[in-house]
Amino acid sequence: MQIHKTSKPMGILVAVLFLYLLAPVILVFPISLSGDSVLRFPPTSWSLRWYEALFENRAMLGAFWTSLSLAAIVTVLSLVIAVPAAWVMVRMEFRGRDLLFNLFTAPLLLPTIVLGLAILIVFASFGLLATMQGLILAHLVITLPYALRILAVSLATQNMACEEAAKTLGAKPLTVFFRVTLPMLTPGIVAAAALCFLVSFDEVVITLFLTGPRISTLPVELYNYVYNTADPLVAAASVLLILLTLGVILVVERAMGLGRAFVK
Amino acid sequence: MMVERAMAAEAALGTPEGPDHLVLSEVGMTFGTLDVIPSLSLSVRRGEMVAFLGPSGCGKTTTLRMIAGLLDPTRGRISVGGRDITHLPVHDRDMGMVFQSYALFPHMTVAQNVAFGLEMRRMAKVEIRARVERALAMVQLGHLAGRKPKALSGGQQQRVALARALVVEPSILLLDEPLSNLDAKLRDEMRVQIRSLQQQSGITAVFVTHDQVEALSMCDRIVVMRGGHVEQYGTPNEIYERPATPFVASFVGRTNRLSGRVDPSGRLLIEGRPVAAEGRLPEGAVEVLVRPHRMSLRAASEEPPAGLNSLPGVLTGATFVGDLIQATVRIGAGEITVEQLTRRRSGLPEPGSAVTVAWEAGDTMVYPEGRA
Repeated sequence: MQIHKTSKPMGILVAVLFLYLLAPVILVFPISLSGDSVLRFPPTSWSLRWYEALFENRAMLGAFWTSLSLAAIVTVLSLVIAVPAAWVMVRMEFRGRDLLFNLFTAPLLLPTIVLGLAILIVFASFGLLATMQGLILAHLVITLPYALRILAVSLATQNMACEEAAKTLGAKPLTVFFRVTLPMLTPGIVAAAALCFLVSFDEVVITLFLTGPRISTLPVELYNYVYNTADPLVAAASVLLILLTLGVILVVERAMGLGRAFVK
Repeated sequence: MMVERAMAAEAALGTPEGPDHLVLSEVGMTFGTLDVIPSLSLSVRRGEMVAFLGPSGCGKTTTLRMIAGLLDPTRGRISVGGRDITHLPVHDRDMGMVFQSYALFPHMTVAQNVAFGLEMRRMAKVEIRARVERALAMVQLGHLAGRKPKALSGGQQQRVALARALVVEPSILLLDEPLSNLDAKLRDEMRVQIRSLQQQSGITAVFVTHDQVEALSMCDRIVVMRGGHVEQYGTPNEIYERPATPFVASFVGRTNRLSGRVDPSGRLLIEGRPVAAEGRLPEGAVEVLVRPHRMSLRAASEEPPAGLNSLPGVLTGATFVGDLIQATVRIGAGEITVEQLTRRRSGLPEPGSAVTVAWEAGDTMVYPEGRA
């Protein structure tokens, strides 16, 4: 394949587009270093006071740890459920397979506000509101379709002859799965894990319905904070969130290259 | 019926001896409403290498996969060394298989790939290391043991796949179009190497291919398949010299087709002229097949050679291809090709001139008309 040199006008257009997309995100960095007491750009003085304030804010810190552990648990559960499910969907032939697959990935298409309302109504009767279990279950509804879809695509493009070769060499079905299928699926698993983690960590709409004074996640806490106060603390929090996201992506990149994890 | 004929032919000619090792009896495979293989019976002797040869869709790969256990036959019975394995799970079959795509495990090194089958057999670590080393030396890849498959060339991957299949000393080696992804030169080398490895280890092998050269040059016997049936089962020589059907004749090597009749007295006539053939001839309309390089060409003015079949025709064209001249000759309404080795001084008659085409009686292959 030949890579063409981008022409100058095209280069400028791309730069403008990127600037348009990233400007608000970039703006957050100077604002987080503001010494002012209100959100304002450009800041009139500079300091780290809002980072200090953030680390002294117990509610924020608590919400951060809730979000982190929630995202971790949801990611692990998503994989534990989606890997075997994807295997069954891709490798087994049975009636209604396509229907089942579409059903499992349907939440991707539903408006999240509708999902949130529905989950609120159902969870209320089970006493799952404002509990960790409730949040985990709700987040799984959104992360599972992503995981299932990514893993199904990975599995479908995997060379089945490798599994067959393992069988002919004497490997029993479970051995084939753990020694051949699963290791070959690693790029898909890493991609699915990264996406599940970020989706869960980032989720606001559904979580809003399920959180309360007892338990809250970082995005919801930030939302509430901005609702009441307009100081640069949220900017400091945003910067840390951006860095965390970048960190996750870097890990994926280091592990296998982004292209391979998400595109293949 | 085909098998009977093939067996009769073997009895006459004498082929690699040894007891039957792999036996398929009336094996059939149906996918949905599609009868891919109606009923297939054949046997492979111990230590023999047999090719399944045929065009794509003839059922050769399906048959191989049924032997491997990757497909469950709808009907019939498969046995190895007298033991029924028809419904035995793949992992208990003790077969080595080389796949068209090689199917090396991408996350394992070359050595780990080769060791996999031995680990499945719960062999001691020391023993595994020794065997892997020996197997890799056998395919001249000892120096690449630590590489990942991706870092190897196609030919090297092919040899790893072969070592991985052979290292477990399987009862039968199955090869599914193993050479089709290699370039021409490498293919020639691997043909020789696979055959010599098979003969050294004395393993029974089944080789699926659509390439007649591979089948003819590498295998003790060839099963020519079409539409899920065995067209002919025999040695390369039998398949080439005495094809059981016109399909076999035209699939293995090239042939000319002429129309003829056998009259009630048993004489074969083409374009009204008597032609000699060997064996018993079917009465009525027949198809007569002669290989292009078994025919010779001379000017009509020359005396037709004595003792040979000869037919008059018109030279319509000639192509010089170095060591060969391919001449097209119109005989009656049909056109045939004659191939002659070139000599420094020999010239062909002018195109458009009258010529005589001649061949030996033994090179005349006669089939009843209408049998494809």
